[in-house]
Amino acid sequence: MAEALVLNALVYLPLAGLLAILLVPRRREGAAKWIALAATTIQLGLGCLLYARFDGSNPGLQFVTDLPWIAAWGVHYIVGLDGLNLLLVLLTVFLGPLVVLGSFTAIRAQIRLFYSMLLLVQFAMLGTFAAQDLFLFFVFWEAMVVPMFFIIGIWGGERRVYATMKFVLYTAAGSILMLAAAIYLVVAGHAATGSFSFAFEDLYRLALPFEAQAIMFAAFAIAFAIKVPMVPLHTWLPDAHVEAPTAGSVVLAGVLLKMGTYGFLKLGLPLFPDAVRAASPALMALSTAGILYGACLALVQTDIKKIVAYSSISHLGYVMLGLFSFSLLAVQGAVIQMISHGLVAGGLFLMVGMIYERRHTRDLAAYGGLAKIMPIYSVFFMLLTLASIGLPATSGFTGEFMVLLGSFTESLRVYRETGATLPLAASAAAIAGVAIGALYMLWLAERFLFGKPRVECAPPADLGRREKLILGAIVAAIFWIGLYPQPLLEKTEPAVHRLLDLVAAARTDDGGAP
Amino acid sequence: MILRDALLAMLPEHVLLAGIVLLLVAEIAALPGRAAAPIALVAVVAAAGAGLWLSATGFTAAPFEGAYAIAPFGSAAKAILLVLAVPILLTAPGDLAGYRAYALVLSSLYGALLINGAESFTILFVGIELMSLPVYALAVVSFRRDEGAEAALKYLVLGGAGSAMLLMGAALVFGSGGDLSLAAFADALVAEDLLARAGVALVVGALFVKAAIAPFHAWAPDVYEAASVPVTAYMAVVVKAAVLFAALRLFRAAALPVELVDLVVLFSLASVVWGNLAAMRQASLRRTIAYSSIAHAGYLFYAFLDPGPGRPAAIAFYAIAYGLSNLLAFAAIPPAEDDAARDRLEDLRGLFSRRPFAAIAIAIAMLSLAGVPPLPGFTAKFFLFNNAMIAGYTAYAVAGLVASYLGLYFYLRVIQILFASPSEAAAGEPRGLRAAALVATVLCLVGTLLLSVLPGWLVDRLAG
Repeated sequence: MAEALVLNALVYLPLAGLLAILLVPRRREGAAKWIALAATTIQLGLGCLLYARFDGSNPGLQFVTDLPWIAAWGVHYIVGLDGLNLLLVLLTVFLGPLVVLGSFTAIRAQIRLFYSMLLLVQFAMLGTFAAQDLFLFFVFWEAMVVPMFFIIGIWGGERRVYATMKFVLYTAAGSILMLAAAIYLVVAGHAATGSFSFAFEDLYRLALPFEAQAIMFAAFAIAFAIKVPMVPLHTWLPDAHVEAPTAGSVVLAGVLLKMGTYGFLKLGLPLFPDAVRAASPALMALSTAGILYGACLALVQTDIKKIVAYSSISHLGYVMLGLFSFSLLAVQGAVIQMISHGLVAGGLFLMVGMIYERRHTRDLAAYGGLAKIMPIYSVFFMLLTLASIGLPATSGFTGEFMVLLGSFTESLRVYRETGATLPLAASAAAIAGVAIGALYMLWLAERFLFGKPRVECAPPADLGRREKLILGAIVAAIFWIGLYPQPLLEKTEPAVHRLLDLVAAARTDDGGAP
Repeated sequence: MILRDALLAMLPEHVLLAGIVLLLVAEIAALPGRAAAPIALVAVVAAAGAGLWLSATGFTAAPFEGAYAIAPFGSAAKAILLVLAVPILLTAPGDLAGYRAYALVLSSLYGALLINGAESFTILFVGIELMSLPVYALAVVSFRRDEGAEAALKYLVLGGAGSAMLLMGAALVFGSGGDLSLAAFADALVAEDLLARAGVALVVGALFVKAAIAPFHAWAPDVYEAASVPVTAYMAVVVKAAVLFAALRLFRAAALPVELVDLVVLFSLASVVWGNLAAMRQASLRRTIAYSSIAHAGYLFYAFLDPGPGRPAAIAFYAIAYGLSNLLAFAAIPPAEDDAARDRLEDLRGLFSRRPFAAIAIAIAMLSLAGVPPLPGFTAKFFLFNNAMIAGYTAYAVAGLVASYLGLYFYLRVIQILFASPSEAAAGEPRGLRAAALVATVLCLVGTLLLSVLPGWLVDRLAG
């Protein structure tokens, strides 16, 4: 019971911070960043507390609050965590204070509004991960877009208006379809059970005919695929990333992109198991296409931020590949890869922001030989590069390896049983993506850090204490997951197992997938 | 006792009438004009309280058998319309002057109340006309620029055409059934009789004109743009809600015949699409809101797909949610010497840096109108489309949802302008926000936020 309160406090703490910021007078608006830092740091503490109290052997929800919200429609306010949600909440609260710290010197205009929006997006993200009722989930899911709209639209780069509009219109298009499908789902649930309920747990139990599943899964899948982003619905991402301020990019890459994969795992798979199984070869192929396409585009970019942005498309392809292979190993790997990508891409975007603050350009041609001028910066950049490539002992390795091994074994099994070659080809091709990934990241590091120093102006100062703290925390987390992922795997395993059981359980029903 | 009951049953109407009389007496006695707004405000608030009380106690009566009836939902609808008028009256001083203007507003409200008790076409028609006529006058009385008179004329002619359609339709229905009661109209909906069908079509068309459903919407943008802010707000919020309540009384709980459903959805979708598309290109805030209200009228007619008890609840919720959001936007527009300067979107550029509170209030209003959760605009839309799906009209609901997506762009555009860096010359730099307007803004903001956090409170009461 007490833990349920802690979880609610964790979710609503940013709102308290926001109210405090509203009370800050204009001439002392610098206080806003300290308030935001305090709120997010306390959140991190609460997150650690919940992690310690979490019972890893329990596959169900823990720390549950369940209150009627709109009784006439069967909408409940249900928040709670299972192992999967716990990890994503941890990732969010871990990145929270780092994003605030990373913005300390970068944001100079409308400081109060900026940190308010940062807290608001933090609130919406945590709400989305904690919500266990589809209506509540949708409310938080949509609410996320508003602060991001402001963050990119006000503090963004030159083409920010174009980028924000594209971002909002893309995500809203998906959301509208998801909303329509969600209403239909609940109405169908009413026809089957006689009562309206939006609770995930109730919706999981619905046995829907294949055709209804297929239509609704298509609607949900488009909404999630836009957020992931999956090729070919990815085109908003590079624009949003390039125009966003550093904090916006970190939030986008670190957490927001996980919303899509989380949606697939938590809603897509268990709600529409037959449709997902029928669509999985196609989705695996698309995921692999995303891996290769993102990697190839990253190869040819000259803007450092764009390289990281396209690498995100590639890395999230692994997550998707893992999800749709339905093997425990690969799905677990996908979860780890979600966390790992949040840390690595978040870290890389922070580093791009740090150098941009010093030199005001992200054009790769303007750099070179940073290793001699900024050795500490270069060391951190190298570590993040290696994690991005998936070098053993980093989190990237753990995630990618589990995904590739799991999906390859699973598709081999499918090939032996049914003769389907598409999944096998997809997982094999995904391995090639690792090689291209190594190529573009190492090439980036070579042109960026080594070679002849190109310093037209005064050499930029190396990292300050604040920046070292941020990057140190991220690198520590990356190595922790890389060297000792066992505790995380143990906490997520029961929840992932249960979701996969929900997918498999329908397999025995008649009227299943062809 | 019968007299007491009769007095009690129409308490909201009587309170309002007393207010009108008081205003007219003060006008004749040439009292100083300051007292006009407070008198009107007290009358409206008291009448709203009376309506709420009648609704909460479940009071039913028929003061005029077969012509006028009091039922809990009707009383609640009266209270809703009156409550929505409060912020308008608060923002009115400066735009409306003298006892006459307030007497016009209250008369119009009286007509709106009559609609919600009407049992026969006669009273319904009187109510609609009594509501509309003072607004034609208000558009002229309050005008601050030359287009005011032209807009009033346009409104008068097109509104008159709508009224004529309504009368003609009623006459045809009467000719077919020999009965002017609204119950007879509900029967006529499903009648095979050609006369009745033509009558129904005319009545529905008249409702479309009054609610500004495409393609009967052409008057709305011009009239909205030319009238002063409180009059525009009154037309966009109170009049529109009252027309929907009138439609509710006409259709009763009847399930619409299939061909009428297709017709209603066709026009609704056309309104949503056209309203949202046309709003994208407007340079005037009030024209934008006019087109947005055309789109919103489209959503509202979706409510008639559902024959169940969810229909009145959805319309009442929508009227409150949409009304609050619109009023929030209107109340928060900073005052300016030049009325046109309150309207040009370009003049609102960078409002956030000058007046953060006003900018945030307008932004919240826009997000709510766009249907971004958890703001009440989203819940209201959800209510409508949820009902349509429960009633089995899945494809129509999906089409409506997808069409509603078009609206997002221009609401966001307004927000983007508010938060952009300030333009070089902000023409007609606004004076400070008046205290009453600030109260109105805060009231609407608090209402909007409360409905965001606890929509269930209202939904359960309306749907219960």
